Amino acid sequence: MNGDILNALAISANGMRVQGTRIRVISENIANSSTTGQTPGADPYRRQTISFTNELDRDMGFRMVEVNDIGVDNESPFGLNFDPSHPAADENGYVKTPNVNMILEMMDAREAQRSYEANLGLIEQTRSMIARTADLLRV
Amino acid sequence: MTIQDIGLLQAIGTKLDYLSQRQAVISNNVANADTPGYRPRDIVDVDFAQILREQTNTSVRPVSLATTNEQHFGGGASGDSGATPTRQSRDTYEVAPVGNSVILEEQLLNASSNGMEYNLMLSVLQRQVGMFQIAIGSNR
Repeated sequence: MNGDILNALAISANGMRVQGTRIRVISENIANSSTTGQTPGADPYRRQTISFTNELDRDMGFRMVEVNDIGVDNESPFGLNFDPSHPAADENGYVKTPNVNMILEMMDAREAQRSYEANLGLIEQTRSMIARTADLLRV
Repeated sequence: MTIQDIGLLQAIGTKLDYLSQRQAVISNNVANADTPGYRPRDIVDVDFAQILREQTNTSVRPVSLATTNEQHFGGGASGDSGATPTRQSRDTYEVAPVGNSVILEEQLLNASSNGMEYNLMLSVLQRQVGMFQIAIGSNR
């Protein structure tokens, strides 16, 4: 009877794992928010994006959440900064800056944290269900 | 006669199975709270009174499909919780622009009511076993 309840633990743990990957991607973006190119006119760091998908795990016979793709954001434009002495400055003296938007990243991090905590809450609850079942032995 | 043959205990076991399966489904919804296009699922409600009637009235056996080959799926007989179907949830409160309609609050509410029902069933089971202990006169 406890197969399902152990599945529940594994599913929640998986949910926490993908949110952890998301946090990792967000930290990379924030850490690289001022990484410019090395040569004149070179492109700076491009912001990374992450998306999730729902895949059947044949081992468990359950649809589990998985990381779908970690891609790069080619849509949002780079910033331009006037700094002629910079090694990456083009002939007009402009340096391209990464398309990382700090506010967006912080908001994403908050959302990931909220999802992580929800999964954690479910693990705690499932665990208390298991503990109560084990307590039956002490009747 | 084993203890599993007692109708009420069997019914409680079935309900516990159902609740732990539901817990897994709710966990899956929460884990997919950020998956584009995901719609939350839930387990089709079980009429517990109906199952209790079937389990305790031994003269009326529930009808089930015969399995003549071990590769056949279960016939969905009551008490066979492995065949409990899940369904996509009905309209939820809101759908995010990416097509995800998991509401974390709703799911956590489901999870806590699920946990309370589970505790209730365990208490009933405990009481039942306690009555057996009184009957066999073990000193508690």
